[in-house]
Amino acid sequence: MNIIVPIKQVPETSNVKMDPETGTMVRSGVESVVNPLDLYALEAALSLKDSHGATVTAVTMGPPKARKVLDMAISMGCDDGVLVSDRKFGGADTWATSYTLSEAIKALGNVDLIIAGERATDGDTAQVGPGIAAWMILPLATYISDIEVESEKCLIVERLVEEGYERLRLPLPALITVVKEIASPRLPTLRGKKKAMQTEIRTLSTENLTLESTNLGLKGSPTKVVKIETPKVTRGGTVVEAMDDASVTEAVDRLMDFLRQREVV
Amino acid sequence: MGYAPVTPAIIRELKEILGDKNVLVDEEKIEAYSHDETNEEEYGHMPEVVVTPETAEQTAAVVKLANREVIPVTPRGAGSGLSGGAIPIFGGILLSVEKMNKILEVDFDNMVVTAETGVVTNDIISMVKEKNLFYAGYPMSVQTCYLGGNIAENAGGGKAVKYGVTGRYIQGMEVVTPKGDIVSLGGKLAKDVSGYDLKQLLIGSEGTLGIVTKAIVKLSGLPTASAVLLVLYETARQAIDSVPVIISNGIVPTSIEFMDKLSVQTSCQYLNETLPYENCGAMLVIEVDGSSAEQVESDMIAIGDLCMENAAQEVYIAEDRNAVERIWNVRRNIAEAFKVYSPIQSLEDIVVPTAAIPDIIPELDRISEKYSMKIPCYGHAGDGNLHATLVKDPEMSMEEWHKAEPEALRDLYSVTQKLGGKISGEHGIGIKRRDYLEQLIDPVELELMKGIKKAWDPNNIMNPGKIFN
Amino acid sequence: MSYIWTLAEQANGHLKQVSFELLTRGRKLADSLDTKLASLLIGNGVSAEALRELIQSGADEVYYVEDPRLASFSCETYSNIMVELIKTYQPHTILAAATSSGRTLMPYVAVKVKTGLTADCTELDIEETTGNLLQTRPAIGGNILATIKTPNHRPQMATVRPKSTRPPEPDADRDGKIINVPFKEEWLDGRVEFLGYRKDAGDFENIEEADIIIAGGKGMKKAENFKMLRRLSDSLEGMVGATRDAVDRGWIGYSHQIGLSGKTVSPKLYIGAGISGSIQHLAGIKTSEIIVSINNDPEAPLHKIADFAIVGDLFNVLPELQKRLEGGK
Repeated sequence: MNIIVPIKQVPETSNVKMDPETGTMVRSGVESVVNPLDLYALEAALSLKDSHGATVTAVTMGPPKARKVLDMAISMGCDDGVLVSDRKFGGADTWATSYTLSEAIKALGNVDLIIAGERATDGDTAQVGPGIAAWMILPLATYISDIEVESEKCLIVERLVEEGYERLRLPLPALITVVKEIASPRLPTLRGKKKAMQTEIRTLSTENLTLESTNLGLKGSPTKVVKIETPKVTRGGTVVEAMDDASVTEAVDRLMDFLRQREVV
Repeated sequence: MGYAPVTPAIIRELKEILGDKNVLVDEEKIEAYSHDETNEEEYGHMPEVVVTPETAEQTAAVVKLANREVIPVTPRGAGSGLSGGAIPIFGGILLSVEKMNKILEVDFDNMVVTAETGVVTNDIISMVKEKNLFYAGYPMSVQTCYLGGNIAENAGGGKAVKYGVTGRYIQGMEVVTPKGDIVSLGGKLAKDVSGYDLKQLLIGSEGTLGIVTKAIVKLSGLPTASAVLLVLYETARQAIDSVPVIISNGIVPTSIEFMDKLSVQTSCQYLNETLPYENCGAMLVIEVDGSSAEQVESDMIAIGDLCMENAAQEVYIAEDRNAVERIWNVRRNIAEAFKVYSPIQSLEDIVVPTAAIPDIIPELDRISEKYSMKIPCYGHAGDGNLHATLVKDPEMSMEEWHKAEPEALRDLYSVTQKLGGKISGEHGIGIKRRDYLEQLIDPVELELMKGIKKAWDPNNIMNPGKIFN
Repeated sequence: MSYIWTLAEQANGHLKQVSFELLTRGRKLADSLDTKLASLLIGNGVSAEALRELIQSGADEVYYVEDPRLASFSCETYSNIMVELIKTYQPHTILAAATSSGRTLMPYVAVKVKTGLTADCTELDIEETTGNLLQTRPAIGGNILATIKTPNHRPQMATVRPKSTRPPEPDADRDGKIINVPFKEEWLDGRVEFLGYRKDAGDFENIEEADIIIAGGKGMKKAENFKMLRRLSDSLEGMVGATRDAVDRGWIGYSHQIGLSGKTVSPKLYIGAGISGSIQHLAGIKTSEIIVSINNDPEAPLHKIADFAIVGDLFNVLPELQKRLEGGK
């Protein structure tokens, strides 16, 4: 089986600070990491490789430094990494990104399964996975929490939706996006790291892909960002202490009063 | 002991020195000063009065008064100690340095910071970070601890393998002596052999020789890159045997942390961590840092290779923050995981020569069995400092525990000593280990210590009852 | 002037609440453009009465595509239908819900009709000069708000989170047209086969729909203690949520996870117990109407954004609260 895992480099957000003067995000010193939700996609692919045999290729679109996430993917056990990189790809929205990635994946040829993360934690759109499927006219199953291999050409998957878990029979080739429940990601190993250092990362760009230039980057993106603001969270609330029995009773009394006043109980 | 009580007249005099707002007698307010991070019921004791001087001069005046009246003075930092060092066991005056909390000077030319000792150490770190500097004598354990507490306990922590302990970074200090004099020791000096090094004597003296009111700390270049290895071994011995190999290879890691099977299992189960821990007998967490990503990467690979050559089952690596956090989480959550299992425990910090760590592990098993308690062993393998923690079996009654705990501790300490170790590497003796120390220490050494104490504090008013009687 | 569309959703022949919420958004846009609002529904077995409700709630027209083979969601088939209807009717704007199906179908369709799509919009407006749709959405964990438009492509497409608006008051006298669009065999894409729902999923609940959520974090200490939250949520007729820490520790399933790597919720009341409030978690609860925090750490960031914060031990506070709720108020 030939599995492709599209992954993304995102800013590590747990330490993001806002500049109180300008209201903008302080980007300096913010580390780039592999999108945490992509780790589950990588793990799902690597588990299939362990159990059924597969070649797993991680693909990322970004500047040359994004190669770091491919190194990590290979350190975890992926066979290969492909960097989709070109100045012309810069500023792409999800539509243009999924176009470029789908063309890159087509160029790799012979894909049985594409496994993507649920979404990226920076843009938070969950649109690139389905977009790639649409460009490639592949069947799409999102929010997958479990994969069973029925045959070489068919998977039985479980899909986490509002009503519970749907069970679907999915013919290959197909694209799935996975949720965290699918598996717990493995850590990169030293052996993998050494392999990554020896692996030549293939770069795909406008030079070796046949691309519709009007579909690329900022210019090719149907959506345009017209304004960026910093939301002000203003919620100063009541604070009560409840450190001993008496104050617990009082605090809960006041909470109940508050909830009744706001008509939620 | 014959200490004088804190009378209303004394309170009046204290208020004259400090102003009303810096003298607390209200029971509700002073309760918070009656304990530290040790078990409150077992070790807690109320002070008679709490004072919060704002200057060294006020501190000196309070101590002078206490010395004259023979009232015990217990100095206190943030109260995050683990040996009861800041507990006023004879009542008297509790002197908190909390209001002496200013960073006075950042001297980039000499690479030093001068700060009062009520400063939260973390604040010094944040302040110099943007200049790509850091204060390496910081234990990184509690983000609320004060510089003063770090000095009093000569704090260690996980990074001591590379950076050493607090004492290495203190170049000078201002001290209020037990007689109430103010003296400056050391300075912005890298070298100083002008007489006895009294500054080093103060460091780690647990507040028994005076109150440090100001310190000059040395800064170092901030490491900008780091990586972590998680190394799995079949046995604890294999894990420990690779420690000297790593250290002697020329690359000094920032940390080498050891976790025995019980610690790993309990923490991983608590975290729902799926690392393949079932078949491993021990793990090491090794961190390397430096100023370039390339250097850190090559150090990481060199150390990983050494581990693989020395019987490691697997070496996991973490280069991005999420993976780094995931690995450190296993180590950091051991104590928490055991707290969930049983909140009653005795957190120990024995230190042995690194080569003796494998020998202590079977002893822990023996003690654990003998006294029916769990004893996870984890800690700073790189410097032989282990948090072998006695954990009460939830089934055991408190009565049985109170009987078994001291016996088990005595057993543990005597084994530690036999292996060339000491009973505390970084938490201090305080009140918690005082009686054990007196039983174990060379009487000549104890006499020397007591002699020093007598010379500095003839009335025995400065944090009495700590370290020894 | 071309129409504003909303994509209604159904399950087992019943319209989902979010279908009506979208009409609130759509009505506002249609009015400011002085155009009509239409609702598109793909499914099976929805009664004429239910369809009329869409009209009573603000739709001028309802397009209903019905077939037994449309009973369960299929991205491939549904997108074929939408693509053709979009080509036929050329709507100005399409709004869909940011649900598992909306978030799957809309990007698929956007690619096929070559237009832009903006996810999880919190505000939608019409730019006066151009008539373009202004779509505002939070990004990077809610740290920024971006306003986006699709100036040169049509239709303009956006998804909106469920619960982010109230449904309109139905007006029984409102008039409108119900258009039954006959199903075409060529739309059917049978590649993915729906096999049914997993049977053993037990007490599955969708926290995005909850009016009241009581969530637990690391401070809950162990899985067992989540029973306390369950009891409370039962008394409050709410649902149980959790932080990533709690889910990672295996105390509760992923479907309960709130935050940047879980769900975004907008209940009337959110109670966080033993939750310090990481940026990631806060990103998932910011749009809650009332936030209550219970934590013994006075410095917990959740306390800072809470409407009501109790600094105290949750193991004392929660049982007391439970007692009060059971004690008939």
